[in-house]
Amino acid sequence: MALQLLLVEDDPVLADGLQRALQAQDMYLQLVRDGLAADAALQAGGIDVAVLDIGLPGIDGFEVVRRLRARGAATPVLLLTARDAVEDRVRGLETGADDYLVKPFATAELVARIRALARRHAAPSTILSIGSLSLDSGTRRARVGERPIDLSVREWGVLEYLLQHAGRVVSKQQIIEAILPWGDDVTPNAVEVYVSRLRLKLDGASVAIRTIRGFGYLLEAAAPSAA
Amino acid sequence: MTSIRLQLLKWLLGPILLVNLVLAALVVGLAWTPAQVAFDAGLIDSAELMAARLAGGAAPQLPPAAAANKDRIWFALRSAEGVHLAGAAGFPPLQPGRAAYDAEIDGEPVRVVARLVATPAGPRQLGVARTLRQRLEVRAAIVRSLTVLVALVTITLVGVVWLSVSNGLRPLARIRAELAARGPDDLAPLPAEQVPYEIAPVVTGFNELLDKVEAGARAQRDFLADMAHQLRTPLAGMQLQLEWLGQRHAADPETGRALNLMHLANERMIRQVNQLLALARAREGRPNGAPAALDLALLVQESVQLFVDKAGARNIDIGFELDAAPVSGDAFQLRDLIDNLVDNALRYTPAGGQVTIACGRHGQETLFAVEDSGPGIPAARRSAVFERFVRLDDKTAGSGLGLAIVRDIASAHGARVVLGDAAQGGARVSVHFPQRS
Repeated sequence: MALQLLLVEDDPVLADGLQRALQAQDMYLQLVRDGLAADAALQAGGIDVAVLDIGLPGIDGFEVVRRLRARGAATPVLLLTARDAVEDRVRGLETGADDYLVKPFATAELVARIRALARRHAAPSTILSIGSLSLDSGTRRARVGERPIDLSVREWGVLEYLLQHAGRVVSKQQIIEAILPWGDDVTPNAVEVYVSRLRLKLDGASVAIRTIRGFGYLLEAAAPSAA
Repeated sequence: MTSIRLQLLKWLLGPILLVNLVLAALVVGLAWTPAQVAFDAGLIDSAELMAARLAGGAAPQLPPAAAANKDRIWFALRSAEGVHLAGAAGFPPLQPGRAAYDAEIDGEPVRVVARLVATPAGPRQLGVARTLRQRLEVRAAIVRSLTVLVALVTITLVGVVWLSVSNGLRPLARIRAELAARGPDDLAPLPAEQVPYEIAPVVTGFNELLDKVEAGARAQRDFLADMAHQLRTPLAGMQLQLEWLGQRHAADPETGRALNLMHLANERMIRQVNQLLALARAREGRPNGAPAALDLALLVQESVQLFVDKAGARNIDIGFELDAAPVSGDAFQLRDLIDNLVDNALRYTPAGGQVTIACGRHGQETLFAVEDSGPGIPAARRSAVFERFVRLDDKTAGSGLGLAIVRDIASAHGARVVLGDAAQGGARVSVHFPQRS
């Protein structure tokens, strides 16, 4: 699924770099350099995620978001800011932006945030996949490559949550809250049990569930295990 | 340098002495007159007694009581025409009448009383004279006691002046103590309420100066922050361009090596810029007014992704032991503190090592601690690492600002930073906060 992005950045070097980096991630990119052009592009529609610099010529990023939300559009917006003063963050999120990133940022972080925003706003019941692992939440089938794997309800819940947040650290508490609809009481120890079972079942898949000691887990793409 | 105490003493001492001396002179004068009258009365008595005897036809002779103590006493008997008949030859001229008068005998001052006496041998002039020795002695005694008295009063007054001036200057001493107790960055105005009216202009002037210094420092911090912000966009652009170039030339090791070096240099610049911003924030003290009630565990959780990514890139096993850790303070500064300590640990721990971040309550304190399995900080260097731009080695890229920033932020929050040894043999840096009440 190639995302259609609107990138609004007036610094030519950064804009050019973002263009290259995001296109390499299979994203289509429309680049504009000032607030008014951004406003026009957003009105034209067809954009999955808007990446907006705050300091723009013409009208600034806050104003672009404000106009977008005033029109009732739900297009997710990620703000880029060179400032990290409290006011900027608060103002940005109050105006209706969905997320913000302080410059300079790692490309991986930017891509992860864009994908997360797109996922949150995309239609549900899509196929989630990373490496050779794919989860079809419509049919509730999980597969490693072509091989189907059997998952209990809770294992499914844990894996789906990890996959939805692939590349991100999630805490055990977050996992518990995500799978609670299926059960009454889930302890952190139980989560550990589900994860160790999942690791066995995902053996051979090109994904790994990394343990973050004392905190939670991180699902990431990995080289297929030698076994 | 002049002393207000000495100046006041100088101005007061002269007038005090003068007034005392004038008073003493008056007292001497007042005491002298009755003494003179009393002595004169004695002399007149002697003269009257002698005159009575002469009138009775007795030979001229001084009454025995008159020949008293140290004083010498003379008499002279002369005819009505002034011819010397008996007594002292050098007796001064006689002026018969009621009052005593001054004269000299043998060069010594005397008081003289003269009378006209009708003796059986005819009218005679009688004079009795007495030296002033005793009365002068009495006067000297009076003057001596008065001198001692004046001296005592003067000394007492000097003491009183000294004490009251010292008391009056106490507000100044208080201000001095308050200023001496301040840290180098404390530019808060002096409290002007309890200062006496006379010192208020000085305090006001000083506060105005503090304001100016504070404004200057603020302008400098703002400039620093502004610079850092301005640099972020081009640095971000550079980073992306270098990443792209690196991927494109992955196959060419020579180019790849050069690009990698450029990438590292760029990362160092980014870090330095971020550290300058953190430093500007840390030096600001409390930027957003009242401190907020915060939980360090939540602040760490906000940055977990970043820490895990960094640790992953260096193949370091990162762990967390986060319990509720209530503190009150500024979220930005505390985030900077956490970032810096974790960043240091990750930076100094070799690949394959361990870093553990912990927070929680500990007795009366709230604790934040980072342990690593790196080389640790030698005890001898532990105080030096808090200085700006001091790094433990030249191999590791760092700004040298990290622990200085940590220390500034900790002290702004009333916390202390303790450097120690970790269980795994590396460094353990802990920050002890007073618990939020």
